[in-house]
Order: sequence, then C-alpha cells, then structure tokens
Amino acid sequence: MKNLLCLHGLGCGGDTISLLNAEEPDLLTALEMLDINVAWHPSLSLEKGDDVKQICADFASGKRSLDLFIVEGAVPTGPDGSGRIYEFLDRPFLEWVRELAAVAEYTIAVGTCASSGGISAASPNPAGASGLQFMQDKTGGILGESYRSKSGFPVINIPGCPSHPDWILESLYLITQGKLLPEQLDYANRPAHFFNNLAHHACPRNEFYEFKASAEEFGQMGCLFEHLGCRGTQCESDCNIRLWLGRTGSCTRAGFPCTSCTSQNFPLPDINYFKTVTIAGIPKTLPKDVPKAWYIGMAGLAKMATPERLKTNAVSAHNKYRGKGEGQ
Amino acid sequence: MSKIISISPFNRVEGDLKIKVKIEDGRVADARASGTMFRGFEQILKGHFPEDAIIYTPRICGICSISHSIASSNALAAISEAFVPSKNGQLAKNISHATENAMSHITQFYVYFAPDLLNHKHAHLKYYPFVEKRLAQLKGESAKIVITERKRFLEILGLIGGKWPHTLAIQPGGITKSLGSSDIFRIHGILKQFSSVVESVLLGMPAEDYLKIRSVSDFDSAFSGDGNPASDLGLFYRFADEAGLITMGKGPGRFISGGCYPEADGTPYIPSGYLNGKASNISMEKITESIHYSFFDAPKSSSNPAFDTSLPKWDKPNAYSWAKAPRYNGEVVEVGAIARQLISGDPLIADFFSMYGSTVFTRVLARLHEAVKLLQKMSGWIEQLDANESYFVRNTLKERTSGIGITEAARGILGHWISVDDGRITNYQVITPTGWNASPRDENETPGALEQALINTTIEDEGNPVEIDHIIRSYDPCLVCTVH
Repeated sequence: MKNLLCLHGLGCGGDTISLLNAEEPDLLTALEMLDINVAWHPSLSLEKGDDVKQICADFASGKRSLDLFIVEGAVPTGPDGSGRIYEFLDRPFLEWVRELAAVAEYTIAVGTCASSGGISAASPNPAGASGLQFMQDKTGGILGESYRSKSGFPVINIPGCPSHPDWILESLYLITQGKLLPEQLDYANRPAHFFNNLAHHACPRNEFYEFKASAEEFGQMGCLFEHLGCRGTQCESDCNIRLWLGRTGSCTRAGFPCTSCTSQNFPLPDINYFKTVTIAGIPKTLPKDVPKAWYIGMAGLAKMATPERLKTNAVSAHNKYRGKGEGQ
Repeated sequence: MSKIISISPFNRVEGDLKIKVKIEDGRVADARASGTMFRGFEQILKGHFPEDAIIYTPRICGICSISHSIASSNALAAISEAFVPSKNGQLAKNISHATENAMSHITQFYVYFAPDLLNHKHAHLKYYPFVEKRLAQLKGESAKIVITERKRFLEILGLIGGKWPHTLAIQPGGITKSLGSSDIFRIHGILKQFSSVVESVLLGMPAEDYLKIRSVSDFDSAFSGDGNPASDLGLFYRFADEAGLITMGKGPGRFISGGCYPEADGTPYIPSGYLNGKASNISMEKITESIHYSFFDAPKSSSNPAFDTSLPKWDKPNAYSWAKAPRYNGEVVEVGAIARQLISGDPLIADFFSMYGSTVFTRVLARLHEAVKLLQKMSGWIEQLDANESYFVRNTLKERTSGIGITEAARGILGHWISVDDGRITNYQVITPTGWNASPRDENETPGALEQALINTTIEDEGNPVEIDHIIRSYDPCLVCTVH
C-alpha cells in the first residue's frame, strides 16, 4: 500500500472536482488498482481537525512513510515570506508543505496553481502565492530549485486549470509502478507525454486553420486563432486528442479559444483572452516554433487557395456548403 | 461546565472552514465560523479587460464555476449598450446551469452530507444498517451508483461547455457552441438516463408521482412503513426522524433569492425575492457587507458592494474570518435551495418549513427536491432548442459604467458587482452564497446564519459532537467561494 496525502492550498478545489470525473478507470478503481491508501484528502476523508493534525504529524516525523504527497492550489508566502496569511492546523500552511515535502518519496503539484502559481498568484498577487517549485516560468517556488523528493525527483507538475483526470491518475500509475523516468519530465517538470502535444492537435477546426478560414464570431465553425484569441497552437497539452467529460468535448470544440491554461505563465497579464492581438494583420503570438516569415508566407498562400466550402462554413454555425466535390 | 471545541480543517466541505464552538452544560453557547484562506480576486481583477472576468471569476470555485460564469456574464450584460440576448443561448445557459446545480445537490448529499449519518452515535438507530448498506461513503450501494452516474450526467457540460469546471462557453450574449441536432439528441438522452437513476435510487418512484407530494402528511405516508425503504430519500427521512435531524439546527428564518434561469420572455423560472414571514421584492441597494470581524480594512465597517473599497489586513485585531458579513436590510438571512423553494412558493417545502422551520432536514430535503424539479424542467428547455438558429449575439460593452450580475448558485444567491472606466475594470466585488450563510458577526455583534443555527444546539456527547457536523453540512458550505 502506498500512502497518499493531499493538501489544498490557495485554489478553487477544481482539480479534485475534475478528478471525480475520471473514467477508464474511474477514481475508486484506479486507487484500488494502484494499491493507494488515501491517508487524508480534504474533500473525501472522514477525519477532521485534530485527527488530521495527527496524520500530518506522523508523516512529518517519519512514523509513517509518505509515498505520494499531492498539493492542489498555490502556497501563500505572505506576509513577508512568513506564510501566516493561511494557517493550517495552527501553523502556516507554507511550513507544513515544506516539512512534508522533505519526507515525501514523491511530491506532486496538481493543477496550474500548485505547479506555477496560476490564477491564485495573478498580479498583484495579494497573498504572495507561489507554485511549489516554480513561480510562473522562474524556477524556485517555495521549495527551491534544488529541491528533490526522496526518490530523487523534483516536484512533478501536472498543471491544467483544471488538470485532466487522466493526467493525474496516469501519472500516479507511472510513479507507483516505478515507470516514470527523470528524462520523461519536460522543461517544466511535467510528464512529457501529456504535454508534448499541442491543444491544436486533433482540433476539428484544423482544416480551417490550414486554409486560414477563420471564425469571425463565437458560434461559427472556422479557426479561432486569427480573430478570437485561440492559443491552441501554443498550448502544450493533449486536450483535443484526449477530450474531457466522457470524451465529449474540449475548449475549441465548445467554440471558445484555448487560453493555454497548462502554461507556466497562465494567466497572462494585460491581455484580452477573447481577441487576437495583431500587428499589420499578423497575430502577435504565432504557433509554437513557427518562424514569422514562414507563417506570413504560408498564411498568404493558404488564403489564396481557400476552398469555397471552407470560406462558407468558417462563418457558419454548421456545415452550410452544399456543393459537390470532384470525384463524387 | 464550559468547553471550547475548535475544528480546523473541517472536511467534506469545499475549501477551508474553521469552526469554534463553546459548549456550556451540554449546549452550544457560542459559535464562530471562519474562512481561513484568501486569494484576493477583487484586487486581481482590477485593471483587466471586463471580458476577462469570465476567465477569472469561474476559477473562484471548482464546484460552482458555471454559476460564476453566469453571474459574470450577467454583470457584463448589465454594462452593455442595449443588451440583446440569444434565445437559444439563454436556453443552453439554463441547461448547463441547472446541470451544475442539480449535480451539486445530489453529489453533496451522497459524498459530503450522508457519511455523518454513519457516526457511531447513531449506531443503535433502527435504520442505521440500511444507511450503512446504501449510503456509506464511497462504498454504499447507492453512493457508488451516484458517483458513477453523476459523471455521465456531466457529459451534458462536455457537449455544451467543452470541459468542466472552468468552461468559457458562457458569454453575455449566449454560448460559444452552436449545438447541432446530434448534440441536442445526446443531451436529451443523457438527461433521461440520469433522471431514471434518480427515480430508482433516490426517489423509489417516478418523478411524476413524487412531484404530486405537496404536504408533510403526503410525504409522510409516501415514505412511511417498516423495513428497508424503497428509496434513499425515504430512508433518510425515517433516519432523520429518529436521529432528531428534523428539528435540529434552526436558521434565522429570513431568506433571499436572486432569481435565475430566465425563460424566453425574460421571467426567471426561480424568482428573486426576500422572505420574512411574507415575500417581497429584493432590492440590491439593501445589500451591505460588514468587515468588522473580517481581515479587511476600510474607512467604513459596512458598505454596499458597489462602493466597497476594503483591502486585506491579515493581522487585524479581533478579526476571525476572511469572509465578509453580508446583510440584507441590516439583517442576517439564509440562502440556498430552501430559500429558492420557499420564495418560489413550493408547497411541500413551505409545509415542512411552517411545521419545523429551516433545519438540517428541511435544508437537505429542499436541495434534493429542487434537483428533481430541475431535471424535469431541463427537459422542456432542451425541447425548445432550435439547431437552425444562432446561439450567440454580440453586444458592445460601455466604456465607463457599472453594473450588477445576479444569479443563484447551488448554494444560494451569487452577486458580481462590476465598475469599468476606459474599458478596464476599476472595481469588482463578489458576494457568494456561503458568504451569506457562513458569515462572521457584523458590527452589531449579530452572528451569521450558520453560527445562529449552531447556537443553542444540544450536544449529547462532547467527545463526539456530531450534531455540529450535521448542521454545518446541511448548509453545504463552499468556502473557496466565500474567501475569494
């Protein structure tokens, strides 16, 4: 049995809510399958108050081994680095996290807030909130750049706002089976195989993207990149491959722009997320790794070749074009 | 004999709640409810584009994120030039909002509330073995069914909102998805499947028959009898009767609702109102928030949210909560499903209220009863969707103005107050349902609704004060909302 302890810092609890939506396998099956004992979880456990203190103290003192230490939500350091703004079990939450991380076999940050600060640390960051080992894209966080859990791993980050239940459970699967190798983590210490895709991959609007046939308004079928602020071509996630809620949807499938919520710098300051900022008609932020000159050239060519079908459908709610194609 | 019991963290509520009660002669003499966490959304939102409130505010809460989207989109609608809604969009908003609220009520009962019924204090009760078999946390027969089926039900939100929590599909002028006939068919089918589960597990009878129950005596005869009851609601009723939950935890007896689910003609399905013996219209000017016992500093100890300039002060002497203390007309009111059902004039809930008041049982019943009614109502909204019509109308925001967005989250009235200047947010204030219910004292030393419900409760065993658990979870507190 591996002991799992989950604590909630500054956040909305949304990653736990998302985790309850897990399927294939569902949460209870997964815990059984992975032989995980939930020592305490704020939303699911029966213990409260002093009993929780005892559980945490037993882990901190080494009386029980803490195999999996999960933090959801950012950790506040205010005021002045003391963390006293948020007291948990009569002490700053910050102190508990540092103490438990020091004895944990694996420390796991679930959600963007725990990973890199997220919404809870958005400017002007009133609570002095931070991620465990990153504050946005700067390494460090509250545990410091050199932190390693007893297994030798840094904090394993599973961001997303919320995080996908598959990302959480599959990471626990790899960890508990000893199948997660250090080289499988990316630059943000995320298990790479979830985050080395783009949200753009498998987006049903891809043909519209290719021909720069863009939606001009919400509710239309075209690509959301050119006008409506979509960051799916920059967002490192597999949302459109994996899909959410019984594989029924994703952000772009529901017609709104991807905000790249798995990114370390989410949320970006001073941005209207629903509008693409352009300079001379060219989006200011280009798709990941695509050089500007190349993008301008390709986009120009694509626009000259846009089929009538895509032009029509891009600005329609449903496939409106009724023409016959060659070869029919 | 006096004893202080302090419970922190209080589990199986959303977020961080600290409860401190003083027990004298086996009775709660004093109670304090504290929100112990703070993020500062009201400071964070300043300077942002108003449209982005729809990105930030749902992230106040992972369990009622659509309610925040609705409140936020209503606030943006209020600051638009001659606002025009989309008919389809409004229906789809109602469907997603009702999905979130109905799911929340049912999950709260099975996952958060019911596990306390298995406290060893109740082990001698006649219905305890049945409760154990069906409602044991994450293990009981019904609990397991509901945990699986709630996920399937949430697929409605996948089809409309892409993901949940924190969809951005809900916008002032409608929704961003154009639901096609395949989507509509699937949404209707998912609703039908979930409704069947609720009928067989929770009600033990067709919803149509259940909704004919309009009085305490009808309810009593529908769910009376010996042996293993055919439904979890019946089982809970008989258990609650034996365990004293029907009269436990009386609230202040005054209620407000902000109204929600606008129908095609704009009339809300759940009306807004203030109820204090008799119902009257609600006026936003009468809402104030006191910061007397909260970790905030402001020139005045109490102000209307439109003019709130309070700033966090973590070391304020005598303060004990990150929640402010909202008051209506200076009074403590209770919010939630019970408030909505009473203000809607629901006969069954009104009869229970007149007989027992607002108590642990009536609050829980109001939530489950409302969930059943919502599932029925949703079917009608789905039938009205028109796959050939648009779901979104673009509206233009004014550059300099202020507005209010009100709705009802699962736990009660939710308000967003916005001011903009030069196209940027200059002030954004949020008052959440649990802000009302779990508020600290105000400057007149009046305790909040939950504090009042705890005070005077008889605690049979000071070493196992489970009465406190029942009362607190009967309010379904959401502290992440409260301490935004």
